Formats: sequence, structure tokens, C-alpha cells
Amino acid sequence: MSGHTHDGGTELSDIELRVRALESLLTEKGLVEPDALNELIDTYEKKIGPRNGSKVVARAWTDPGFKKRLLEDANAALAEMGYEGRQGETMVVLENTPKIHNMVVCTLCSCYPWPVLGLPPVWYKSFPYRSRAVIDPRGVLKEFGLELDEDVEVRVWDSTSEVRFIVLPERPAGTEGMSEDELAEIVNRNSLIGTAKVQAPSAKGESA
Amino acid sequence: MNGVHDMGGMHGMGPIVLEEDEPVFHAEWERRIFALMRAMSVWERWNIDMSRHARERIPPARYLGSSYYERFLYSLETLLVEKGFLTQEEIEERVAELAREEA
Amino acid sequence: MPLLTKDMVPNILRLGGSFQVDEDIPPRFAPGDRVRARDINPTGHTRLPRYARGRQGVIERDYGVFIFPDTNARGEGKKPQHLYNVRFMSRDLWGPGAGARDSVYLDMWDDYLDNA
Repeated sequence: MSGHTHDGGTELSDIELRVRALESLLTEKGLVEPDALNELIDTYEKKIGPRNGSKVVARAWTDPGFKKRLLEDANAALAEMGYEGRQGETMVVLENTPKIHNMVVCTLCSCYPWPVLGLPPVWYKSFPYRSRAVIDPRGVLKEFGLELDEDVEVRVWDSTSEVRFIVLPERPAGTEGMSEDELAEIVNRNSLIGTAKVQAPSAKGESA
Repeated sequence: MNGVHDMGGMHGMGPIVLEEDEPVFHAEWERRIFALMRAMSVWERWNIDMSRHARERIPPARYLGSSYYERFLYSLETLLVEKGFLTQEEIEERVAELAREEA
Repeated sequence: MPLLTKDMVPNILRLGGSFQVDEDIPPRFAPGDRVRARDINPTGHTRLPRYARGRQGVIERDYGVFIFPDTNARGEGKKPQHLYNVRFMSRDLWGPGAGARDSVYLDMWDDYLDNA
């Protein structure tokens, strides 16, 4: 494997060697099957991702019955849309309001709701986020460009069990005429974790 | 265990680094180790709690100095050896072989 | 379980793990109860972070009966018990420097909790 020079050559190639050593040994012993490995990679690289979560939010914004079901029994509601499975076996949806801002973290490792959001971004798994989200959520949000008023209650959810959380962000003003599909386009991934709000598209029609 | 992984409330970890439009995987080896971990779990010789604990047992300096998928690599090696799939010797032998081929 | 093959992948991913246990075990706590996280320091796996140990909180929700990770990680069995969501005021965790209105919610098992 060539081309990986961003992190100090020997260290990185040592890692590549070790990964290849494991894969070759396990394949030879019939313990893993290359097609299955490729299918797993393809699934999480191309098929399961935060677009799922954006669609969930868009539906909740436009369908009050769905929103109610989502808040009362997230698993059942998400299953209606086919979003279920590994690392989403028990789901809870947290509704943001003008006075309550929810934020999700896993301080102990990096637990994340894979079926709805795919695999987590590097920042979510990083030590700065894992360490600071619970003790200085407002400081963390500022780094994301989000400043909350003092009278807003911040709720940080540390994913210590197999329960997985997603945030239902507030629907921004100025989106009244938009269709469900159009709304899904403006729901950014970070708003589903609680480190951003959703912005209405600007006058020129571009979303944030 | 009271390990460094239990980092809620710790200071000094630095600013949050944000990457615009970051890819799901940043290198081919990340793809492979992710898939290997998932596929080997299917044998159910370990459960998810054991796999987390294997990550927590990575020596602290190494834990703190490595990326998420590097920690997958180290913990997967631990699990594979402890649960009897591979020996440390055969892993090291294969690594050395591959290194010789690369050279 | 057999070798994972390509055609098995979708089902394996859709099924996920089974962490909830279908056993009729009575809960020790109910939503609204004031509880204190135990001050435990196990050398093995636990999902009770140090920052919450010994701190007082309120039961927000009872999720039902789940596998207990501390014993499961040692291969000592599922020890099924109730899993709760517990709310801690940030000032009770971090002192007066924390936001007055802010809080941290953690999932905690029966074995992590005592009455406050």
C-alpha cells in the first residue's frame, strides 16, 4: 500500500502490515471470507449513513403522527422507515425545543446510533469531544459555532449502555413551504448529534 | 476499570478538530480492520462487553497516542489471541514476512 | 455461529445484538426516585464513569431488563437487571462552575445505584 505519508511513514506502514497480517491469517484459516468483509465495508461506506437520520427528522417535522410515535417508541417508528439493527437495538429520540438543547456523547468509547447515522465522524470519537462534552457542553458547542442563551437548558446524554440516542432538532423558521424531501436535504448530521442547529436555506436557495 | 478511556471531565485534550466532508474511512486499512472486527465477532467467542474491555486494556500511552481504528487493531489482536483464534507468534511471523516482502 | 458470508451480512446487521432480556425481574427504582451512583472501582469492565460515582441523581426512565456489562465482560453471565436513565444536575457533578440549568443523563443498571 503506497501513498500514506501523512502520519510518519514507519508507524503507519506498521499498522497496515499488522492489519494485513491479521486479514491474511484469518482468511487462510477460513475464519473470515473476503466477500463478506467487502460487503460490510460497502454497507457502511455507501449504504448506511446520516441521510437516514435526515429523512427521519424531515418526516417528524411534516407528520405529527410519526413524530409522536418517534418520541414514544423510537424503535417502532424507525423500523417503519427500515432503520434498525446493529448499534441501534434500543433507540431514544431527544426533542430539542427553544429552551432545551440535547447533545449526545459516549465518554467511555464512541457508541453511536449506526442504523440511523452510519459510522461516527472522527470528532465524535475524539478525546476532546469525549472528555469535554459532559463537563463543558457550552464550550464545545461554541467550537461548533453554536452559542446558546443562558436560559436554555443543555442536556448531555452519555451513551453508557446499548441505548442509542439521536436528537430531533428544531425545525427552523422559513421552511414552511418545503416538502419532506427538501427538508431532509437541509438536516445536517451534526444537528442529529446535538452539536448544530438546522439552518433554513438562504434566500438564494442554498442550505447551510 | 479506572483507565484513561474513562475520560469524561478530563482536561487538556485540546480543541475539537473538524474535518469538512470527511470520508467514512480515511485509509484502506481502516476499512479492513473495521470489517475484520465485525466479521470475527460473529463467531461469538467474545461479546461486545469483552471487546470494549479489550480496548480499555490497551496500555494508556498507546491508547492515548492512537486513533480509533488503531485501537480496533490492538484490541482485535488481543481478542484473537485470548480467545484462541491465533497465537501472538503467528501474528508476528506474518507481520515479519509481509515486511520482508515490502522491503 | 458459522463463518460470516456475504449473503449473511444484511441479516446480521439488521438483527443486531440482543441486549434486552425477556425476564420478569422487579425493578429496584422507579422514575422520580432520588438515587446515588455507587462508589465502585472495579478493575474489570464497567460502564459507570468515574465522574458520576457517588453522585446524586434522579431516575428519569426505566428501560427494562438488560444484560449487565460488568459481569458479561468477564464471561460471568448476563446477570439481567433493570437499566435506567438517570439525570444528574451538572452542578452536582462539576460544582458551581457548571451551568445552573444544565444536566447530564447517564444510563445506569440496578447494580450501579442505591437510594439517595
